[in-house]
Amino acid sequence: MPGDIAVCIKQVPHPDCLAKLSLDAARGTVNREGVPAVINPVDRNAVEASLRLREKLRNRVIALTMGPPAARKALEDALAMGADYAVHLCDRAFAGADTLATARALAGGIRSTGGIALIICGNTTIDSGTGQVAAQLAEMLDFPCVTDIEEIMPEDGASLLVKRAWEQGDIRVRVRLPAVLAVNAKINQPRLPNVLDIMAARQKEIKEWCAADAKVEAGCVGLAGSPTQFWQAGEFHARRQGEILRGSPDEMVAAAVDKLKKLELI
Amino acid sequence: MDFNLTREQEMLRDMVREFAQRELAPKALALDAKGEFIHDIIKKTAELGLVGIITSKEFGGTGMGHLARMLMIEELSRIYASLGFFFQTGQIGMYAIENFGTPEQKQKYLPALCKADKIISTALTEAGGGSDPSAIQTTAELKGDEYIINGRKVMISEAPVCDLAIIVAKTGDKFSAFIVEKGTPGFTTSGKENYVGLRSLPVGDLVFTNCKVPKANLLGQEGKGLAVAIGGISAVGRTGVAGVALGTAEGAYAAAVKYAKERKLYGKPIAELQAIQYMLVDCNMEIETARWLCYKAAVLLDQGKSPRDAGDDITRCKLYSCDIASKVALRAIQIMGGYGTIPQYEITRRLNDSIELFTAAGTQEIMKNTLARSIIA
Ligand SMILES: Cc1cc2nc3c(=O)[nH]c(=O)nc-3n(C[C@H](O)[C@H](O)[C@H](O)COP(=O)(O)OP(=O)(O)OC[C@H]3O[C@@H](n4cnc5c(N)ncnc54)[C@H](O)[C@@H]3O)c2cc1C
Ligand SMILES: Cc1cc2nc3c(=O)[nH]c(=O)nc-3n(C[C@H](O)[C@H](O)[C@H](O)COP(=O)(O)OP(=O)(O)OC[C@H]3O[C@@H](n4cnc5c(N)ncnc54)[C@H](O)[C@@H]3O)c2cc1C
Repeated sequence: MPGDIAVCIKQVPHPDCLAKLSLDAARGTVNREGVPAVINPVDRNAVEASLRLREKLRNRVIALTMGPPAARKALEDALAMGADYAVHLCDRAFAGADTLATARALAGGIRSTGGIALIICGNTTIDSGTGQVAAQLAEMLDFPCVTDIEEIMPEDGASLLVKRAWEQGDIRVRVRLPAVLAVNAKINQPRLPNVLDIMAARQKEIKEWCAADAKVEAGCVGLAGSPTQFWQAGEFHARRQGEILRGSPDEMVAAAVDKLKKLELI
Repeated sequence: MDFNLTREQEMLRDMVREFAQRELAPKALALDAKGEFIHDIIKKTAELGLVGIITSKEFGGTGMGHLARMLMIEELSRIYASLGFFFQTGQIGMYAIENFGTPEQKQKYLPALCKADKIISTALTEAGGGSDPSAIQTTAELKGDEYIINGRKVMISEAPVCDLAIIVAKTGDKFSAFIVEKGTPGFTTSGKENYVGLRSLPVGDLVFTNCKVPKANLLGQEGKGLAVAIGGISAVGRTGVAGVALGTAEGAYAAAVKYAKERKLYGKPIAELQAIQYMLVDCNMEIETARWLCYKAAVLLDQGKSPRDAGDDITRCKLYSCDIASKVALRAIQIMGGYGTIPQYEITRRLNDSIELFTAAGTQEIMKNTLARSIIA
């Protein structure tokens, strides 16, 4: 494969700690303070998929994130897993991005890195989970995009065969490179870094790029470049109530129908 | 003073935590019931570079150090103490070879040990009493180029499965340490003894009957065998047991907190009862204290202090952690009421494991003697 693999990772709150997150209703942001942050779980599958391809194709794997200074840790984790180097898009101008502005920044990062033949993303994040970024990124770069991928099979240098789940079966898609793929958690089990990899990770390079380095205009990214704006935030409590009906089957069915009618559901 | 882990130590801890969740948590109950040596899982830890974590890279290790090792043992023991304990005993022998061995001995044994292709035991204890070195009756007699060893070691970790053992035997009126390989004529091992805790740890006897060992297998100088063994037992054994105790307590405590929040009586979780809260507070305080005693001893070793110079800290961490592990486990059982005594709730295992830790690597009373000597010296 002529070119490198860029793997996009987002730092998100630890899945076990989602209950500890609170909402800043005034600013419409999630309060992340004091909650440990990790690589978005399925993005680790994306890193793993990239590394497995590298083992076959002998190209480099570049971990890419857009995020605040603390997101560096996510890149360090990806480097410990085996990525060759990392790019951190880190600039106040990127803050407050919606998915479109995020994709613009990432596209800028990809273009400025140069020589990228394949971009692997996770399918969705656990903190906002729009599942839009991969497709937007592909559109901006004018690359084909396949999402929800469970298997990647390298072919010749110019294309890949990928499998995506579909109802009872699956669809196999031959995708020409360069391309954007979004993988789901079924694709693999992410490796654990061994002790030597962990110690070597700090020797690897993390490039820190501001908006200018990524050659994106500050007005196109971050809050300023986001057509989706925060309007209102509130906590939503789902209330569920169960009721057990008793009697013969006929009586129970009649009672159930009666209740649904009263609730104007049927 | 900086209480932060380095980023590498943090990453290591996270990695081991995830390993334990993947490989141990779903199986711990079954492994405990089976009570078999878990060589397959140990091999996986070796692939991750954990077995050689205090062995230098030159000899196939990863050389990350004592605090990294403490974090690893803590994390593993939090889920399954038997695996944590493997590192306690296995690494005593590795430490002794690296610190007292000849270049040939290091090259010959350490790389295979780091890969867990070979398993090592370290044996002092004899039937006449583990606390009293004069109870060591095993003898090694020099005849030409060989030592002839006779005697029996008891209560030895990994004895039934070991590929080599470091043993301490009498040479005249002094003690010397030897490396004895499996397959040496006159060297046999017993089957696994039935202990109540640490069920995946095979403990048994090593038996020597006119066992001829080449002179080259002397470890350290003749007559200095106790220093070889005690150095390893102190720096690696006692800190290791302390880490197992810490992790065991943490595992029991975590289960108790979860249960207290979930179990409802009088229409609210029992965690809201002050009597339960006080028990949780005691557990929390003791664990936090034990943790910092453990980390401090490990940090001192990483700073290059000898086991002797770090001795008081090592003693304190072993004594205190092993003391509180069983207390925390008992409170956890109490909090869980009648369910606490059902093995499926995985809390009796914590108690069983914790009581194995009183004696291993030196009893609690021996720790007190050691600390007392230092206090009044
Ligand atoms: C509760 C909540 C709701 C939101 N709703 C919306 C919304 O409706 N519309 C909208 O436009 N924005 C929304 N956002 C903002 C959104 O979180 C950001 O735009 C974010 O940067 C990307 O969106 P995502 O997490 O949904 O990505 P997804 O599209 O779910 O992510 C897919 C993949 O893209 C890659 N990726 C995503 N973000 C990054 C990154 N920062 N760096 C590197 N790779 C990345 C990863 O590989 C990831 O697995 C919301 C945010 C929150 C907190
Ligand atoms: C799980 C496990 C693994 C082990 N693995 C190994 C191993 O790999 N290698 C090895 O060599 N040994 C091993 N041992 C043995 C362990 O080191 C001994 O059990 C320990 O040294 C105590 O010896 P003992 O059991 O003979 O008790 P004893 O020495 O007989 O002690 C009996 C009691 O007397 C107390 N006592 C003894 N002397 C004093 C004193 N001077 N002052 C006050 N009280 C005293 C003790 O504290 C104890 O309460 C292991 C033990 C266990 C439980």
